Amino acid sequence: MNSLFFHTLLLVYLGASILHILFLTTGNQTVTKFAYWLTVGGFVLHSAFILLRWQHAGHLMAHWYDSTSFLAWAIILIYLCIAHLTHLHTIGVFVVPAAFIATLVAYTLQTQENTAIPTYLQNYWLIAHSSVIFLAYAAFIAAFGFGLMYLIEEKKIREKQHTLIFNLLPALGRSDEIGHKCILVGVILMTMGILIGALWTQYVKEIKWTWVDSKVIFTIATWLIYVLQLSIRQILGWRGRKTAYSAIVGFAAVLFTYVGVNLFLPSIHAF
Amino acid sequence: MNQIVTVGTSHHVAPLDFRERLSFSENQLTDAFQLLAEHPDVREAAILSTCNRVEVYAVTHSEDGCDVLSDFLSNYHQIKLQQLGKFTYSHQNLDAVHHLFNVTASLDSMVVGEPQILGQVKEAYAQSLAAGATGNVLNRLFTKAISVGKRVRTETNIAAGAVSISYAAVELAKKIFQSLEDKTVAIIGAGEMSELTAQHLVKNNVSKVIVANRTYQRAVDIAKKFNGIPLAYDADLSFLVEADIVISSTDAPHYLIDRPALAEIMRQRKHRYMFLIDIAVPRDIDPEVDKVENAFLYNIDDLETVVASNLKDRGQEAEIAIQIVKEEVAKFHTRLQILEVNPIIKALHQQFQGVASKELETCLDKAQLNPKQQKMVEAMTQSIIKKLLHQPTAHLRQIALNPDLIGTVNDANDDYVQYVHALHEIFGLEQTAGTNDVEE
Repeated sequence: MNSLFFHTLLLVYLGASILHILFLTTGNQTVTKFAYWLTVGGFVLHSAFILLRWQHAGHLMAHWYDSTSFLAWAIILIYLCIAHLTHLHTIGVFVVPAAFIATLVAYTLQTQENTAIPTYLQNYWLIAHSSVIFLAYAAFIAAFGFGLMYLIEEKKIREKQHTLIFNLLPALGRSDEIGHKCILVGVILMTMGILIGALWTQYVKEIKWTWVDSKVIFTIATWLIYVLQLSIRQILGWRGRKTAYSAIVGFAAVLFTYVGVNLFLPSIHAF
Repeated sequence: MNQIVTVGTSHHVAPLDFRERLSFSENQLTDAFQLLAEHPDVREAAILSTCNRVEVYAVTHSEDGCDVLSDFLSNYHQIKLQQLGKFTYSHQNLDAVHHLFNVTASLDSMVVGEPQILGQVKEAYAQSLAAGATGNVLNRLFTKAISVGKRVRTETNIAAGAVSISYAAVELAKKIFQSLEDKTVAIIGAGEMSELTAQHLVKNNVSKVIVANRTYQRAVDIAKKFNGIPLAYDADLSFLVEADIVISSTDAPHYLIDRPALAEIMRQRKHRYMFLIDIAVPRDIDPEVDKVENAFLYNIDDLETVVASNLKDRGQEAEIAIQIVKEEVAKFHTRLQILEVNPIIKALHQQFQGVASKELETCLDKAQLNPKQQKMVEAMTQSIIKKLLHQPTAHLRQIALNPDLIGTVNDANDDYVQYVHALHEIFGLEQTAGTNDVEE
């Protein structure tokens, strides 16, 4: 059941990624419609699977495996929100492949599926804490996508080359503005996630709050990067290229906090 | 046989004064449709009249439908047939279909890919429909033509990219700011190109126009055109702090704006984006300015290059559009042929049904069956009719699509007509008045 699901979902996300990229190389509006609806289909399938798994296993987000799958789902959720609110489907070119990669990683981690989960992790604290943090990650990935789109479009404008990509990518002001909003949403979610995590340690005796956990340190560092960027934008009017670069730096920090810390540093966080 | 025909004129074949004489005003359309409706040979009609083209479409009984329309135009506009022939074109059947599809796809327009024509065809069709001039065939033709126009625009980039310098400037501004609604434009100096560009920007709702000129009176004169704010300009550039778009076209022999000056202005405006357009020769703005963060500079050469490359791109996209049109013409051809054969099939079915229901009635009267048995007999009758007619119906549809299947040595289309005629004779079908009155 799991592998059938994963194979289908991987195919759907791969197809949607290819269609999104195809749109950027051909400009065919029909392709973008297909790409969008295929992604919607993948999202529905993915949501159903997460719910089923939750019901079946009795816990959610207790493994790398589950959490990465959730991250992919969150990325798609953010993409659909952006597409719905702004009609900017081009962001799909950057984020749908990211969701595909996350799903692929989850697929390779499937073996973890049956490891025993301590009971103190089988509760809503874990679900609230990590799902909010992962939604924040997804928003930061979208901001990263907008940063890339900004830089490409700016390059095209400076080179005075009005190619197809120039026509299809959103205006500089728009990429900048929506990217900024994604960061704002991400920071709010991340703040909530950190607070939930801190409260959790107060109520559950098996987990002690600690500042020296590497995951906590890097999470806070990542959070600071974004907060700093937002403040400077507010005060000095940083925008455009600088926002784009900080979205990329922030994304690198997210990636390290999520993956790097667990590979290279010890932590009480399993993921 | 019915024919789809069109006679018309466009910028390709006729000068403006001729197109003017041939055009139909809104008021004229009503009597024009009236006249066409009264014509014994004309079954359906539609008129497309824009500043670049005037075309009459019709479905006629007669073989020489194009002559019917030429006569009509000649009479209506009091133009001699000979002159009319010189400046008009005519197409019939599939060529007429192909032509209309080309028109809606904007492949026949002066600027390929221009957006207006599709709306104009929609409007023309709506008027013809409202006047009751169109019928089954033209309704299908125009609906399809409009959808072909849409398909070409969504599946190709034929309409992408500005093809004039002032539009290219506006398009760029939109690629930087997205919306121009709360933006301020500053025009430095004067000139036709800068005013034209400013005009397009105003049309796109910029909120404020500043006109700076060395002579104040000149600034006032130009500012009037855009409801702008006049300004006597000397060396002071501080008004640029609030300008989002700067159009410069003075005859100054040196740079008015250099990099350090603009960097300072950008700092004062908190690095909000600025788009500078330098139309002056020699240039007003130091090219180094383009390196200032969030400031984007285009000079006249840059804009011209953009326009040239957009035109080239449209040419390539047109190739794809031509293929789409061809494909759609072929599909429409198929639909038309099926449409032609439908009335015969319907007549055949009616004939059989008529006989069957009469016989059934007599039989049921005599036989005194219970309701269940009655139903069975009725169902059996229907089934017999269906099975008997299945083969002829399928065969008729097939030869409608491909008259060559009749397999004689003469012209396939003539054979087809005779074949249909024979069918009528053999089964004693009533000749339907028109072959297109029946819905599919």
